[in-house]
Amino acid sequence: MSDTTTARRAVRLEATNHEGSLLGKNVSSAKFEAGKETGFAFADILFAIDLNNEIVLGDAFPDWRGNLYDIQMIPDLTTLVEWKPGLDSVIGDYWLKDGTPVPICPRNLVRRLVARLADDGYDAPVAVEIEATLFEESVQEARSRGYRDLTPLGGSTGATYHLARSGDWIAYMEAVVERLDRVGIAWEAWTDEAAPGQTELNLAPTDPVRLGDNWARTRQVMREVAHELGHTVSFMAKPTAGFGQGAHINVSLQSDGVNRFFAEDGPSDLMRNAVGGLLATMEGNTSIAFPQITSYRRLVDLTGPPTTVSWGVNNKTAAVRAITGHPKYSRLEYRLPGADVNPYLALAGVLAGVLAGIEQRIEPPAEVTDMAWCLPDSRGVPRIPDTMSKAGAALDADPLLREYLGDEFVDFWVASRRWEWMEFHTKGGDPFAELSAWESQRYFEFP
Amino acid sequence: MTESTTIEAPSPRLEMTRILVEDDATPVVRLIGRTLRDAAAVARDGGDDLVAGLLGTVAVRSHDTPQAATVTLAGDVVEVTSGVFGEPAASVVVDLNARFGPTEEPTGDAGLAAALLRALRLPMAPWRDAAARFWEVARGIPGIPDVLVVEALGANGVERGRFGEGATTYGIAGPADLLAGVFSGADDLLTSLGAGVQVQGTLAQLSVMTAASWKVRFDV
Repeated sequence: MSDTTTARRAVRLEATNHEGSLLGKNVSSAKFEAGKETGFAFADILFAIDLNNEIVLGDAFPDWRGNLYDIQMIPDLTTLVEWKPGLDSVIGDYWLKDGTPVPICPRNLVRRLVARLADDGYDAPVAVEIEATLFEESVQEARSRGYRDLTPLGGSTGATYHLARSGDWIAYMEAVVERLDRVGIAWEAWTDEAAPGQTELNLAPTDPVRLGDNWARTRQVMREVAHELGHTVSFMAKPTAGFGQGAHINVSLQSDGVNRFFAEDGPSDLMRNAVGGLLATMEGNTSIAFPQITSYRRLVDLTGPPTTVSWGVNNKTAAVRAITGHPKYSRLEYRLPGADVNPYLALAGVLAGVLAGIEQRIEPPAEVTDMAWCLPDSRGVPRIPDTMSKAGAALDADPLLREYLGDEFVDFWVASRRWEWMEFHTKGGDPFAELSAWESQRYFEFP
Repeated sequence: MTESTTIEAPSPRLEMTRILVEDDATPVVRLIGRTLRDAAAVARDGGDDLVAGLLGTVAVRSHDTPQAATVTLAGDVVEVTSGVFGEPAASVVVDLNARFGPTEEPTGDAGLAAALLRALRLPMAPWRDAAARFWEVARGIPGIPDVLVVEALGANGVERGRFGEGATTYGIAGPADLLAGVFSGADDLLTSLGAGVQVQGTLAQLSVMTAASWKVRFDV
């Protein structure tokens, strides 16, 4: 992370809520200095409101959640950067007064799983491909239109890798990566993606907690740059009725600096076990990887996202793609999450699956060497749960994810998704619309 | 002397119309299915089975949201599915937060529509009976308080009830009919808070009571 250089007037305290929105508040420099070791009080409601600011109800709160108690946000000073002149930014975690981590704090979940991996002797470099769609209109204009009928930035034809995008689109992406460089977020590539206005930005591999930080901050950068340039950007799983967008996570395991997923003749035993764990937990993990109603609208065969609980060597139609054969690049690409996912929770879900696989030596099912979309039922390859309620039930019943993510998180998350499902169905969402106005209103700007 | 013959009294009717709800049903489908099951259960207690023998399809639509379901009546089986596809025999538009109160004149087969609405709009059970059943259903929900204390305002003043035993209590008060609606699942707890129901307990308890309300209303 970069050093702070200019005179600081304020510090922005940041952390994601369960939905994946980057929340926080600005404190004066003096206030920050006074509290940077002991932390800052935040109302626990940040884990209890939905994207429409309604209090999420429908479960038994754990002991630490009562009548809007305070929890402590303690900044991780290794994340302190100069965000812009006069404003620093720092990411933190949520802690209870007794010094234990808030069990549903997304960043703390990742920290806990990284520590468990370390106990097993591994570290797990991860990287992510961030997809987003840009629109010409300002966010104010987008709001006035209910986020519908917007104009894709860079032209309305879909294209992948095209270099002919107009200057406005290019100027936006160049401004984004310039800002990333300034705040110390390592990126590797950006390109035109499949849909009109869509871009893909690849963040460089790093440890999972730092990648979560970089991912969350990159979305913030992309939003801020869009606002400054008079445009708007959305990380909705489907910002328009036509196209979806994902967030593929690449993970490998190494110890002593050696990639343990590599073997001369294909996947190593460790990689096979990791695949086994990722597939064993995939149906439950779908609830995390597909957090919103719209997330499930991406699940269409032949359009890009995986639709089956499947894996294959270099098979991009499967949910887990094994990249093998190279001591440096051998890795697993977990293709399930949508662009709307909570970065930390997505990473926690992947780490939980990997940990389950390697600790319990789970053998994967047969590799899919055919196209993994449209497979006949007789092949015995399960479909990915295609509704929020099915995915929630799968998570609720998943003993592995309960073990690695904890009962408190699982119970909380399942209840919060039931609330979201109920809100959609009873407050104006239309399951039979290609993309309902309710979804655009709720998800276009957040998470 | 005329020979007498003993005629056995008819046994109570245990069979009732089967109500089937599709897998992974939406809330409106669950609400209709649960309500029709309650209506069919009336027959078990000696009342009329209001949906037995009805034939045809009825579209049920919410008056203020896109929620819609199709009720297919086939004699002794009723199926409830999400959405409306094809041309139903009858259509009703209802307020789902007003106990299926119709907001428009039904279209199509008026008799069929009226029969279905009768089943969906059964009179409320007495609040005390509904509360006892509610607390029985709610017992299995993790974190539910031990005791429900009810103050129901009826024609004869305030009646009180206490359900369950234990250390933690939850209080709920309001007009008797509205409480009967909440306890039976006809009314949503959160919606009823704006209509005269009052509660006493923690925010955490309201949260788990919401789960209980959904359990009896939507069977989730």
